[in-house]
Amino acid sequence: MPEQTRLHYQEELAALESRALGGLDLVVQSLDRTLEAVEHQDIELSEIVIADDDRIDGRYLEVHQQILTLLATQAPVATDLRLISALLHVMHSIERMGDQCVNISKVIPLTGHEAPVRGEMVDRILLMGKQGHSMLTQAKKAFEGRDVELARDLVRQDDLIDNLNRECFQIAVQVGEDQDTREWAMTMMLVARALERIGDNAVDIGEQVAFVVTGLFREFEDASHPGQAPLPST
Amino acid sequence: MVSEKVADRARRGAEAATGRKGAPEIDISGVAEGVTHGHAKKGAKTVFDLEGLTVRYGGKPAVKDVSLGIHENEITALIGPSGCGKSTLIRCLNRMNDLIPSASVEGHCLYHGHDLYGPDVDPVEVRKRIGMVFQKPNPFPKSIFDNVAFGPRVLGLSDVRERVERALRSAALWDEVKDRLDENAYGMSGGQQQRLCIARCIAVDPDVILMDEPCSALDPISTGRIEDLMLELKEQYSIVIVTHNMQQAARVSNRTAFLIVELDAHEDNRWGQLVEYDETDKIFTNPSDSRTEDYVTGKVG
Repeated sequence: MPEQTRLHYQEELAALESRALGGLDLVVQSLDRTLEAVEHQDIELSEIVIADDDRIDGRYLEVHQQILTLLATQAPVATDLRLISALLHVMHSIERMGDQCVNISKVIPLTGHEAPVRGEMVDRILLMGKQGHSMLTQAKKAFEGRDVELARDLVRQDDLIDNLNRECFQIAVQVGEDQDTREWAMTMMLVARALERIGDNAVDIGEQVAFVVTGLFREFEDASHPGQAPLPST
Repeated sequence: MVSEKVADRARRGAEAATGRKGAPEIDISGVAEGVTHGHAKKGAKTVFDLEGLTVRYGGKPAVKDVSLGIHENEITALIGPSGCGKSTLIRCLNRMNDLIPSASVEGHCLYHGHDLYGPDVDPVEVRKRIGMVFQKPNPFPKSIFDNVAFGPRVLGLSDVRERVERALRSAALWDEVKDRLDENAYGMSGGQQQRLCIARCIAVDPDVILMDEPCSALDPISTGRIEDLMLELKEQYSIVIVTHNMQQAARVSNRTAFLIVELDAHEDNRWGQLVEYDETDKIFTNPSDSRTEDYVTGKVG
């Protein structure tokens, strides 16, 4: 058997991956708090979410710096290079999802103290959030296991979020003439939109799983050509 | 929030330049058009076509059954661990192994379609067309001018002075030495000596330049100059380089061949074998063979 070499480098690479994917746990935590704040119109909790986003941004900067160091000192190639490139993308998605939680948290105070809440819309938004939570967990599992099929399944999961988003839009359109209710519904559409983007970011992470495994960087679904799946089955 | 420019930067960085200028015709009368086979791409012209090439020293194989096409006006890198036969392989390409009495070659080594080891082939003519630069700079103990003029004089070529100047310019050395052409070449730096050896090689208008670890004795600045020079020279010549420096292979070559050391069941005999031959981008981003992956990532030696 050939002797294993560059063990320290392999350990560094594994630690980098663990640190980057750990960012998904931070987003999940932030998302759960955001949903709770939405459900209970909890302004204090929303402020905690906004403050805590510094942890996610900090993780992004930390991983980014580690990636630069590894590129400069270890000259990674082949699978290692694809992994590092993918982790940069993943970390960017994580940072964006953290910002979406902040965006949601910022609009919670705008709904007012006694908002004219429409239960059917809040229920759908909370469902979208739970679906997002599930997708983030699945994206992490797919990345850790280099499981392309599990990663591709994120597209199916994302369709559920997209459908709920469209339903929210219909509810908002038909919410009636009351000014306060319309403002509330519009604000909730911003929330739904942010959750829908989190679903898209989770799919982006799935695409990076496929890239690491296959070496092909293709979108699972091309937004400009809907219905076409460019990535061949593996 | 953190800047979104990161993604743009990554995208820009990922764009690899792959275009190259068309290969000029080489006027060698009576030589058939190069054919492509093995891993070569359709339509690309090859200068060498190796078919089942096996080289033995004293009956024991050093490399076994190598088949690949080396393309015109490209840089082809041979990489692999020590003992994988890459130096043996490159030395086959200008019959340098003829100088080792126990060496024997089987299979075909076609140069522009002609068998390099055919009975009517003159090894001196082969080495004129296919020059070689070695690991350690090896100038003659003569003046800078005489080093470069040596080949043209031996071959009785005309316009020796013009040839020397042209070769030194092509080797990016002229401006550094034009005022001291009569000085001994040993007074030059290691990097300059190696470029002098390249100039000496191209002074006889070769078709191919073989380089066996040409930068391993040089510092990074001299290495950078040689690499720049290689990229310029490939417009006119086909270059094959053996290197232990994988980043060098990645930086300069268009195609890379990876060889490994194989052992027989009793581990008595070892020989080199070609594992993968492909475009360099592919070898260093997504190699097809796990053994290539393990070697280029440095996981196994």
